[in-house]
Amino acid sequence: MTKPMRLAVAMSLLAFGSARAADTVKIGLMAPMTGSWASEGQEMKRNVELLAAEQNARGGLLGKQIEVVLEDDGGDPRTAALAAQRLTTRGVVAVIGTYGSAVTEATQNILDEAGVIQVANGSTAVRLTEKGLKHFFRTCPRDDEQGRVGAATLEKLKAKKVALLHDSSAYSKGLADEIAAILKKRNIPIAFFDALTPKEQDYSAILTRLKAAGPDVVFFTGYYPEAGLLLKQKKQMGWKVPFIGGDAINNPDLVKIAGKDAAAGFQFLSPPVPKDLDTPEAKAYVASYQKKYGEAPSSIYGVLAGDGFRVVAKAIEATKSTDADKLRAYLVGQLKDFPGFTGKIAFNDKGDRVGELYRVYAVDAAGNFVLQK
Amino acid sequence: MEQFFQQVTNGLAVGSIYALIALGYTMVYGVLRLINFAHGDLFTYGAYLGMTLLTSFLLHDHLGLALALVVLAVMVMGLVAVIGVILERAAYRPLRESPRLSAVVSALGASIFLQNALMLVYGARYQVYPDVLPQTTVSFLGQQMPVMRLAVVLVSVTIMAALYLFVQKTKVGTAIRAAAIDQGAARLMGIDVNKVVTIVFVIGPALGGGAGLLVGLYYGQISFTMGWIYGMKAFTAAILGGIGNIPGAMVGGLLLGVVEALGAAYLSIAWKDAFAFLVLILILIVRPSGLLGERVAEKV
Repeated sequence: MTKPMRLAVAMSLLAFGSARAADTVKIGLMAPMTGSWASEGQEMKRNVELLAAEQNARGGLLGKQIEVVLEDDGGDPRTAALAAQRLTTRGVVAVIGTYGSAVTEATQNILDEAGVIQVANGSTAVRLTEKGLKHFFRTCPRDDEQGRVGAATLEKLKAKKVALLHDSSAYSKGLADEIAAILKKRNIPIAFFDALTPKEQDYSAILTRLKAAGPDVVFFTGYYPEAGLLLKQKKQMGWKVPFIGGDAINNPDLVKIAGKDAAAGFQFLSPPVPKDLDTPEAKAYVASYQKKYGEAPSSIYGVLAGDGFRVVAKAIEATKSTDADKLRAYLVGQLKDFPGFTGKIAFNDKGDRVGELYRVYAVDAAGNFVLQK
Repeated sequence: MEQFFQQVTNGLAVGSIYALIALGYTMVYGVLRLINFAHGDLFTYGAYLGMTLLTSFLLHDHLGLALALVVLAVMVMGLVAVIGVILERAAYRPLRESPRLSAVVSALGASIFLQNALMLVYGARYQVYPDVLPQTTVSFLGQQMPVMRLAVVLVSVTIMAALYLFVQKTKVGTAIRAAAIDQGAARLMGIDVNKVVTIVFVIGPALGGGAGLLVGLYYGQISFTMGWIYGMKAFTAAILGGIGNIPGAMVGGLLLGVVEALGAAYLSIAWKDAFAFLVLILILIVRPSGLLGERVAEKV
């Protein structure tokens, strides 16, 4: 091929590409479709695709159909950075996702610089919204709120000596620090503050040491695989002190790993699980989800991704634009009391969701997660 | 003092698993001077095969628990041994005469292959063993202790003792020791070295697979990446005891487990692993060939 010809081919390809892009409104979905959080990613995909299909049946957005562009972040920051770059080259107007805080953090600047609105659904680390990024939002709450609710729960249990155990990850250590700071202010003594190594299987040495510290209650801020093992091995030791956990433990696999006997009585903080969403919109949505997939949504983070999709759609409809700055102005300034599935949604100027979202759940004898009033 | 005893038994339970895996490293190194980096993954295969056999045949419903576990152990160890032999044929034997580095790279590649193959078959999520073991506790030296923890230690120690006797007292064991000392001389004495290598790749992976089964049964939760952390610890244990030395692997494994548990008890939990490796460094400074390793003159 000669040089001018090559140029002509490239130009026509480019023209073809942009002509296609104009046919649809593209909304990106970045989710962990593989890796250890793959089950969360699958749920995110189901929620967003269902809502996009429903919106398309109502006529789409701005007279165009919505196209959901899915990228797998693998639950890994490096993969996620590449996924975010691919999304920016495919002409998406907004990106929904993703789940883990460290993973989201790797994508924030890439999307912000490209002028793409990002609405994360499971990333609760405080610092994500403290960077002054104009285009970043999240439908999930923050860990400082979780810390406040956690400390309040400990007070409610009339704990006199608390043990805090984390796993050194950004989320887990951050949450443990938040709780420790509040407990110190209230003069509740912390008998133990240390980290375990995730992905090990024998935590008996740690449990023995915890037991020797003599706490009334242990707060573990890590993830469900370790929490399950801790509960199981605690029961094997015949140790009865109650355990509490954070929102990364909200996964039905916890009961599978620990066994029903060992999991019973365990409490954790979480945004309400799908079956406890009580607004009429949420009930109708859970019913249509059930109809399409044959089972109710199991993860709240999937539903939060759905809420992220809906606020983006709402903003595009209201501003009649896909310009990121106009969308931001609308989301921060004008979106008030939007009826989300997970409660009313509004954002403050950091991009954080306004309002309290955390609830306390307990595992009952049959292994179900029961909302505590 | 109560905590001390409790932590020592905690450490012995983990340590006996490390020791079982370390035997595989040490035997292969003894004969081939090769670190079999895929050994940790063979351990994981043992855990996954055990889960599959247990859940698909429901052995414990038909045979009674004790017999079912024996049958299961034999099947798992046999299957992992087959994988071990294939691994040796495919990844190590073609490189026997190549520089040592090529074999190490091949071992790392085999490890990545085995791990990802497992993920593609079973998926990336954590897998859980069915609850078949009794959860009873017994009083032992004034401690409440799960029966199964004692069982894990007893099973491991019995297997290790049997292996030691096999290597010291039988003709095949003598051949293994001869090949470990000098392959050339062993060949001149009429020993089929290839056969010895195959036997080593039956025994090592079988022990590793057995350890995987024990871990699955005892801890309940397995993942396709679990072999990495156990492999690292077991490798450390093998070096600690003196790599190539069978009693050394046993002593190294148990010692590493106890040191970790005591480190977690009296120093920081978060620094537990660092402490274990510090002990390794200290011992290697004093005894470069490991605790029981003999000082062998370099072959020229």
